[in-house]
Amino acid sequence: MATIADAQQITATGPIIEAKELSKRYGHFVALDRVSFSLRAGRIVGMIGRNGAGKTTALKAILGLTSCEGSVRVFGLDPARQRNALMSDVCFIADAAVLPRWLSVEHAIDYVAGVHPRFDRKRAEAVLATTNIRRRSRIGELSKGMITQLHLTLILAINARLLVLDEPTLGLDLIYRRQFYDTLLSDYFDKERTILLTTHQVEEVENLLTDVLFIDRGQVVLDATLDQLAARFVQLNVATGKIDAARELKPFHVRTLFGKTIMLFEDRPAESFAGLGEVRTPGVADLFAAKIQAAAP
Amino acid sequence: MKALLIEIRREFWEHRALWMAPLAIAVVLLLAGAVFGHAWLDIHDGHGLQDGDGLPHLYQLVLLGWAVPFYLAAAILASAYLLDCLYAERRDRSILFWRSMPVSDARTVLVKLLVGLVIVPLGTYALAAVTSVLASAILVLRNHGLLIGHGLLINAPGVIPWSTPAWLQMQGYMLYGLSAALLWYAPLAAYLLLISVWARRSPYAWAFIPPVLLVIFEHLEFGTNYVGRILDGSFGELLHLAYRFDAAGAGASVQLGRGAQQLALTPLRLLASPRLAWGLLAAALMIAAAIRLRRYRDDS
Repeated sequence: MATIADAQQITATGPIIEAKELSKRYGHFVALDRVSFSLRAGRIVGMIGRNGAGKTTALKAILGLTSCEGSVRVFGLDPARQRNALMSDVCFIADAAVLPRWLSVEHAIDYVAGVHPRFDRKRAEAVLATTNIRRRSRIGELSKGMITQLHLTLILAINARLLVLDEPTLGLDLIYRRQFYDTLLSDYFDKERTILLTTHQVEEVENLLTDVLFIDRGQVVLDATLDQLAARFVQLNVATGKIDAARELKPFHVRTLFGKTIMLFEDRPAESFAGLGEVRTPGVADLFAAKIQAAAP
Repeated sequence: MKALLIEIRREFWEHRALWMAPLAIAVVLLLAGAVFGHAWLDIHDGHGLQDGDGLPHLYQLVLLGWAVPFYLAAAILASAYLLDCLYAERRDRSILFWRSMPVSDARTVLVKLLVGLVIVPLGTYALAAVTSVLASAILVLRNHGLLIGHGLLINAPGVIPWSTPAWLQMQGYMLYGLSAALLWYAPLAAYLLLISVWARRSPYAWAFIPPVLLVIFEHLEFGTNYVGRILDGSFGELLHLAYRFDAAGAGASVQLGRGAQQLALTPLRLLASPRLAWGLLAAALMIAAAIRLRRYRDDS
């Protein structure tokens, strides 16, 4: 059987996740429709999509939690068949509220420390000491925000090479969300590690992502690095009287905000916008909304 | 090894009744022993005991009586645990957390089987054995005289309630019987685990109703009882295979009391029994199915 050490040879050059033609149906509902994408090491990838777009199914396929048509490789291994070999290198939070209510905080730490060879107990305890979570509490006694905090603390203290987070900050208030993303960036992330996360609060993560993957109705709508976004997409705040001229450049999305017309363009040479208005790089959230609307039938 | 220990402890954190109930039984029985202080036995034929020869054997009956509540509790607790453990983690969705840890599905299922089939029964056995020493000590301390008559025996100083060889022999018999029962009831344990991992709701109903319906159906339709005989985990047959009773006496309890040396252990007869072999094979298949179900089912 292939091991992680073998797989490292692969990842040194190739992608750490490679999904090809993934498809999955639940009855008549198509969750994934021939989705292909790949992830390189040392990236923070935001998988962005509406509820039911197929994000969670894609994550489950990567984690070997569901079977799909097509192929997926994580560190060169098939997660559906070689899940056991993968799990010490891959960490995930599938849903923040799944820590068992009967478990005490202390025992949760004991358990992860006992079964996970890469868990750094001191680090988890240090982080926990900065919170209001008491060690003797049972998880059932904690607030939802605290449970999420505890779960994140446990997972972030694991030195895994791939971290998969499905809506990690759901149910957390703004301060905790900020803290969480700061921790993720400053303490956890380095060039060796890869983070794949889904969220619908796009604004909060766009500054920390290196890559985005837009998914809608089971299909990849956009797969790009943030640098590529800046090169490929242009937001034009159209100057008065230039609307018709700008329309000639065929924007893929037009909206009007406070009387101003805002257009989004893809793959247009920068010089073509001269004199038409203010040119910017669109925000990820705006781009996402525009792409989804443009893709709508 | 460290991981295995924490995985086992985890089961006892979740299912606290597994250790609390046997301890509670021990405390209640010891308190009762301390307050009432006598072992009561119903003896139909007390004459043979007056010479003292039979008394160690009577003591062994006391030990058996002491252990029975523990064994009953262990059987009930272990069954309830096996039926609940893999269902509970899906009910509260904590399976998503457990499966994010590097613990394989096979390992998870086998640890639960180990806890339900081996650790709980053996732990309860050990608790019964240790507390039987305490109970004997209580009897010695409270002991004031021997009375045989009108079917009542109350223990006497110097004769019972302590005999080291009798105690050791009886613990050996019980440990042997328990080990035989573990093998014998392995298919039942595997069946309960399989229902636990399979049922989407009410595992208790799924565990009990279909077999009962099957037996009733067979009886009504064919007038036979093959299914019933297969499902019947007959304790009598286990005793018959695992032990040989030589004495011919008035009643079973007196036979044991008259001489445990007349009781022979027949492990080879048990191990050679086709029923045990089929049972173990069925257990292995059901465990394999349970592992597969936990591994591949996606209903989180």
